[in-house]
Amino acid sequence: MSAHDLAVASAAALVLAGAAGTALARSATRLVLSLGAFLLGVALCFLALGSPLLAAAQVFVYIGGVLVLVLFALMVVGRGDGESPRVESRHDAGAALVALGLFVVLAIVTPKGPSAVAPPEMVSPAAVADVLLGSGIVAFELAGVLLLAALLAVLVIVKGGGER
Amino acid sequence: MILTVACAGAFALGVYAVLVRREIIGILAGAELMLGAAAVQLLVAGSEGFAAGASSFALILLVVAAAEAVVGLALIVTAYRRAKRSRIEEFGEVSG
Repeated sequence: MSAHDLAVASAAALVLAGAAGTALARSATRLVLSLGAFLLGVALCFLALGSPLLAAAQVFVYIGGVLVLVLFALMVVGRGDGESPRVESRHDAGAALVALGLFVVLAIVTPKGPSAVAPPEMVSPAAVADVLLGSGIVAFELAGVLLLAALLAVLVIVKGGGER
Repeated sequence: MILTVACAGAFALGVYAVLVRREIIGILAGAELMLGAAAVQLLVAGSEGFAAGASSFALILLVVAAAEAVVGLALIVTAYRRAKRSRIEEFGEVSG
């Protein structure tokens, strides 16, 4: 097993462990830590797949931004009595069956990618910029509009309207 | 191969979290799991000859997921501040 294979396997294990913790944790603190592990695993997967730009964006935007926001929201919303807030669940067999069936279907039908043992060629940020500002310009502009809309939506939600 | 299975597992766990969590913030975390798994799978699928395009669209997927998370968290915090509600059962008036 090469070093690249080991890195891919470690990233995959971190993704799975983080996802399991996020889905099953009872304590809000554990949920946030598990979500952080999952997001870090996703960043490592990006790196292992040859996309350092995406890995850096994942770390800065998610681990540095969204995860902190989730933590703040949990601290505001949590109903704990001085301890870590609880995140309740209603586990049932039907939901587990749906998730298991989805896992089997996805594992079978989704493309597996190359099975090469060699690490993939790194995708440079310049190549990504070429695509985004070339054939992907419409999607790029729409993403900008979406961010602006999200910013305005948050302002309206938090400040607008007042008490009714 | 191993990444595809991990992504399928993470996506399925995200669906499970959305189905069983009672706190809205747990449901939002489940949605984040699904979007993260989809982004990695997009890169896996495009890694053979379409790596730059796959990276570009995964980047746009990150933007969409971040916008979704921010708006969702704003809704959760505002709902709690105004009505002290954070569980999904407490929002019965918006059910169909």
